[in-house]
Amino acid sequence: MIRSGWCTALSIAALLSMSTAMPVMAQQPPIKIGVAGDLSGAAASIGQAWADALKLGADEINASGGILGRKVALSIRDTEFKVDVGVREAKDLVLREKVNFLLGGISSGVSLATSTSVSKEYKIIQISAVGNTHRQTVELFQRYFFQVVPNTFMEGRAAAMVAAKQPWKTYYTIGYDYEFGRMQAGAFVDTIKKLRPDVKIVGQHWPPVGETDYTPYITSMLAAKPDAVYSNLFEAGLGGFVKQALPYGFFQKTKFVSFADVSSMMAVPEMPEGVLGYTRGEFYCENTPEMKKFTESFHQRYKYYPVSYAVMGYDSLYVLKRAIEKAGTIETEAVVKALEGLTYEGLRGKFTIRPLDHQADVPEYVGWTVKDPKYPFVILKDIVRVPGAQIMFTEDEVRQMRAAFTKK
Amino acid sequence: MTVADVIGQFLSGLARAGVLFLIAAGLSFIFGVVKIVNFAHGALYMVGAFFTYSFAVTLGVPFWASVPLAAVCVAVIGLAMEVLLFRRVYGRPVADQLLLTFAMVLIIHDLVRLAYGSNLKSVPRPPLLAGAVFLGDIVFPSYYIFIILTGLAVLLGFWAFLHKTRLGKTIRAAVGNREMVACLGKPLPWLFTAAFVAGVFVDGLAGAIGAPLGGIRLGMDFDIIILAFATVIVGGFGSLPGTALAAFIIGEAYAFGIWFMPAIALSLPFIIMAAVLIVRPWGLLGRSGGGEL
Repeated sequence: MIRSGWCTALSIAALLSMSTAMPVMAQQPPIKIGVAGDLSGAAASIGQAWADALKLGADEINASGGILGRKVALSIRDTEFKVDVGVREAKDLVLREKVNFLLGGISSGVSLATSTSVSKEYKIIQISAVGNTHRQTVELFQRYFFQVVPNTFMEGRAAAMVAAKQPWKTYYTIGYDYEFGRMQAGAFVDTIKKLRPDVKIVGQHWPPVGETDYTPYITSMLAAKPDAVYSNLFEAGLGGFVKQALPYGFFQKTKFVSFADVSSMMAVPEMPEGVLGYTRGEFYCENTPEMKKFTESFHQRYKYYPVSYAVMGYDSLYVLKRAIEKAGTIETEAVVKALEGLTYEGLRGKFTIRPLDHQADVPEYVGWTVKDPKYPFVILKDIVRVPGAQIMFTEDEVRQMRAAFTKK
Repeated sequence: MTVADVIGQFLSGLARAGVLFLIAAGLSFIFGVVKIVNFAHGALYMVGAFFTYSFAVTLGVPFWASVPLAAVCVAVIGLAMEVLLFRRVYGRPVADQLLLTFAMVLIIHDLVRLAYGSNLKSVPRPPLLAGAVFLGDIVFPSYYIFIILTGLAVLLGFWAFLHKTRLGKTIRAAVGNREMVACLGKPLPWLFTAAFVAGVFVDGLAGAIGAPLGGIRLGMDFDIIILAFATVIVGGFGSLPGTALAAFIIGEAYAFGIWFMPAIALSLPFIIMAAVLIVRPWGLLGRSGGGEL
């Protein structure tokens, strides 16, 4: 009896102290945000970094008063790099957990499927910070979907714009044999041919995503003696490629244009210096106090560096916060209106969400790989920040592509 | 295109064949003896690569010691799997065997995820083999020479084991006529265990030697295991010289396919497999009745 009396007294005391500590926020239910991304499967490390950044952002927001005085509560689900799982989890978040907003996804396939069969269906806003097929903003656009990551085309164009300034005349391309790889290589080739009519593409390789042995690709590319090789391989594939290319003296015989996100670079310790690398925005790409603060808090909490997927995830959460504050409500239609045309000063500088396709004019960063004793991976130096406005589809292009798609 | 380019491409194909053979050899051997299609073969290959990472990178053991250590550890896992589980499904319908071996794939994957996480790992090549051999314009990475020599050693090792040792001869006899060998008082289950563990050891060795080739990651087995199955089918299940021949054909077809017909290079191994299945369903060097090793 005595013990239970103590317990009651203690819990009453605890309740009292809690209610005095949280005067306003306790009165309103939290804003529920569904977080659906691939935390396992081929893109697991990317999804984890993205989710870690969202958790960090949510805690910061809650510590500084929440959004419109309401706390933010994240419901995190693993979509396993599988389209069916992605749709199932997103649906469950909307129908059972009754989330107010969705953030995701990681793989383009899952992201697109969630957009068309959940976000559109249930009229719930979805913001993608990683999954970046342009189809979700162009052909299969729907008004509840927003994208704060450069799309596949923008990446290929940005890389080509910088490569075009080099004296290289003959190119070989190697890209993964799926939508991302083909689209990006296509954008690269189109752009460089436009900017440099003298450039010739001497061959193109399309290895499958799971390829582990790149030797025959490497020897046949070297046989063609190109001035440069453009590649959009990443993570495991890039790691294998670089390892296998080194003994051939590949990087002395030809220049290399490569995807160079930190996530991949951590997996490719052998990456040589002097490669023309492109990425969506790493912590070292911007020298702003905001980026420094974010990098420090992230590294302190998770003991690893925030890769670009963390940077973009963090931006996506704050874009949502800004839009809700602008709308003054969490009501979907009002927030959609607030997001359209919203200008936001994020970790990657200032960007605006275009009303026509809900694509943010986020930059792509292109620079030269260099080893830095501070980090266990290569970073980029002499970085060119290619503004989103220069690499996005023009509004006319978007309309034409949509018209062509509807005709089909 | 010069002669050196053609030779270079041929050598690329040979390197690919070496890797394929190392993986397919154990698969083919295990099937030849215990007649089980082991889907977990790829998963054990992956475990071999991860163990090599643990020894060589995490613990700092020299590469040359890490490789046999990793292979032995994988063999011990194979021993436990065989004794506790697999021997219960010998002679059972194929569906039962597939269910069990496929369940092992899922279990091993989750265990690897728990132990190593989902991030990519990398094992550096030993300094001795990090470079390349130059012959005029021809460049050939020394690590591939090592892989091809290991493949040949495995082929010869299996042959010597089966034809020159008492245990090997008894295993061959058991494959030919189980009842007779059992009647002679030989411990049949343990013969099979020995054969299974030998196959898994070579599998672990393949994973260990394959580790420095590219990245090590969860799921690295799925991509290679399908090609390994195609190799075994083309060569003839249970025939090691057949597996070696098939690995050579598939490796070269792929290397030159990529060069001259990149659009169909990926499907070439399976086109070859389909052709072989139509003309010689028992494989190039297999026997129509199964049987002898």
